[in-house]
Amino acid sequence: MQKRFTILGCLVVAILLFAACAVPAAAPAADMSAADPTSAAPAEEPAMDMSGKVVIPSGEMIRIGGSFALTGPIPDPGKDIRQGAEIAIDGLNAAGGLEGFMFELVAEDGACDGTQGTNVGNKFAADETIVAVSGGTCSGETFGLIPILQEARIPFVSPSATNPDITSADCDVCNRVALSDALQGVTDADFVFNDLGLTKVAVVHDNGDYGKGLAEIFQNHIQTLGGEVTNFEGAQVGDTDFRALLAKIGANGPQLIFFGGYSTEAGLIAQQMTETPGLEDTRFMSDDGAYTQQYLDAAGEAAEGSYISFVAGAESEDMNSEFDAKYMEKFGVSPDDLGPFHSQSYDSVMLIAAALQAVATVDSSGNLVIDREELISAIRTVDAFAGLTGMIQCNDMGECGAGGIQIFQVQGGAFDQVSGFGLE
Amino acid sequence: MTNRTERVQALYLDRQAVAKYVSRAFGLAVLSLVIWRVISVGLAEGYPASFWISQALNGLVLGGVYALVALGYTLVYGILFMINFAHGEVMMLGGLAGFFALQFAQSRGWMDGPALVVIAALLFILLIGMVASVLIGISLERLAYRPLRQAPRLVPLISAIGASLFLQYSVLLIFGVSPHTYRKPALISGGLRLGDVFIPYTGAIIFITSALLMLVLYFIIQRTKLGRAIRAVAEDRATAALMGVDVNAVIVVTFVLGSALAGAAGVMLGFHNTVVKFNSGFIPGLKAFTAAVLGGIGNIPGAMFGALVLGLIEAIGPSALGIPTEYKDVLSFTVLILILIFRPSGLLGEVLSENKA
Repeated sequence: MQKRFTILGCLVVAILLFAACAVPAAAPAADMSAADPTSAAPAEEPAMDMSGKVVIPSGEMIRIGGSFALTGPIPDPGKDIRQGAEIAIDGLNAAGGLEGFMFELVAEDGACDGTQGTNVGNKFAADETIVAVSGGTCSGETFGLIPILQEARIPFVSPSATNPDITSADCDVCNRVALSDALQGVTDADFVFNDLGLTKVAVVHDNGDYGKGLAEIFQNHIQTLGGEVTNFEGAQVGDTDFRALLAKIGANGPQLIFFGGYSTEAGLIAQQMTETPGLEDTRFMSDDGAYTQQYLDAAGEAAEGSYISFVAGAESEDMNSEFDAKYMEKFGVSPDDLGPFHSQSYDSVMLIAAALQAVATVDSSGNLVIDREELISAIRTVDAFAGLTGMIQCNDMGECGAGGIQIFQVQGGAFDQVSGFGLE
Repeated sequence: MTNRTERVQALYLDRQAVAKYVSRAFGLAVLSLVIWRVISVGLAEGYPASFWISQALNGLVLGGVYALVALGYTLVYGILFMINFAHGEVMMLGGLAGFFALQFAQSRGWMDGPALVVIAALLFILLIGMVASVLIGISLERLAYRPLRQAPRLVPLISAIGASLFLQYSVLLIFGVSPHTYRKPALISGGLRLGDVFIPYTGAIIFITSALLMLVLYFIIQRTKLGRAIRAVAEDRATAALMGVDVNAVIVVTFVLGSALAGAAGVMLGFHNTVVKFNSGFIPGLKAFTAAVLGGIGNIPGAMFGALVLGLIEAIGPSALGIPTEYKDVLSFTVLILILIFRPSGLLGEVLSENKA
């Protein structure tokens, strides 16, 4: 008798639990179909059963999302990239837009961080009016964007994410104007080993997708060339005291330290190296993440003589001086004061606009219709055009950048090109 | 019946004894594993002695900074039994104020003047940083903690976390996200070179100044009437009030002392590591809190001792254990956990009142 009650009791509890779980799950679903205006909208307007298409009613804007590192470790370059994109949007609108539709940049803060990249991606995916995205700024941030934009079928063009794995055969929405670190890491290693003749190096990175990825490529290529890598050490973005790490490296006496990461950490390492026994004559090299005024500020006098590489475009004088003038007029600063990637950012927006131009059609009721799948393939098939960084045309992997790697040496508090692309 | 109670008691005692032995055995095992690892790594790597001395000096400088900040946590905890989680931000704001004072001094050309002028200017910058931190500390006490003094203990804790975020993001909005870079004057850049050991001037200044400030604090707490009042309030607030101690004033003074030390730490860290930004107080604050717990929270010598131990562990630990330096934070928090397991009241015990303070 008692046993039967126990079983009955268990059953009742189980049913209650089940009901408790089922009810809240069912309720929002019902709410959503009733209250969500976006899902209700197609039913009200005829001839709008267009899944996979963006329909922009006449008078509305063509909305391009932007994921920029406005906070996080590199706020100044992030702002610069955003402003480069704004100049592109202004230029497009001044030229009459697309079929009379004006462009709008929806800028979000990707914070140079994967989690924040995911948040931004979700925001864009939930907004049906976003046609394409310019960004993200950092590689880690862009890795946060990729799966979400891939599923939402929103193509993106990154101006500055350089990790080799940003573009892949599996991702048809992933494109970039920046050059892959597969190129930068190898070029840097060649420069160190062959041009500088240094064979014993230490490698430090900031544990980020960008910095660590680049550091690994650099390390591998140095080893392939026959050089010795004494240390491969990680730090954290936001660290300010690298003395313990540097003392450990100093004990092995490398000829050069290569750092994969961003400006502030690069500057502090360059500065604290001068205080570390065993590293007095060791040279310092870093990457495009440190090709900024912020690096020079953080390193101070210690920056003198250090090497910085950059993924540069082939710059046409006329277009760039025109761009610089517009930028100066709108924001009151010279573009080079904030960061290096404004030209790439301009080009990434122009590439999106060129692809939109190729696929957008106006329907009978005057709406602009953009097929998402067509736009994705158009970005990679659109004709080459002259951008600020050279002839922009994508290959079938989504690598659209032009130009090559430049290597600079800091002399007299300024970057002075010593090797690489575009140097006579 | 009594027989049974006794048996149960005996069993319980047995279990307690067993648990004690198990935890001790575990502790011993961990300790011997660490010692074995240190010895084997030491033999394999063969770093020279100057390397260990350099790392130890790095650790002492780090420990000096942590100690100054940890004292703020410990003082406030001793009096109010709450953790002031906004204390790291108090330090950061001191560093930021120091940055602006430095800019002012540079614009007046004081930093390029003769040595005496530069030293006076540096003291002025330190003072500005300390004053700014004190103002923030007093406002925190007045606005965020005093209204909640009678509330349950969790409430001021939440308020402290809120204040911490408020301060961080206010700085972010007002002063921007970019780091502010201190320019060291020529007088204190560079350092002493003793054979293979290099001592940066800023590091030496941090260590000496923090030792001096701690001595001053110790003198205030132990030898002055004010210090006696602080100890009395820490011991028993109600009785101290009955004896004529102005409890509110004592609490404010405690915040003033703690914030002034944090402000000094912020400015000196600014000169040492050269960058200050909105979140640069967060990690040092957390570390200093760890140091305070390590030494025994509420215990002033404990905070100093814990901070030095933590600084040394962070600097020497990764090399001694042969693990990558990026695990230094993992290491320090592991030590915190082990201390909490085996000595929950910290290395030196958890008393501010009694004779230890």
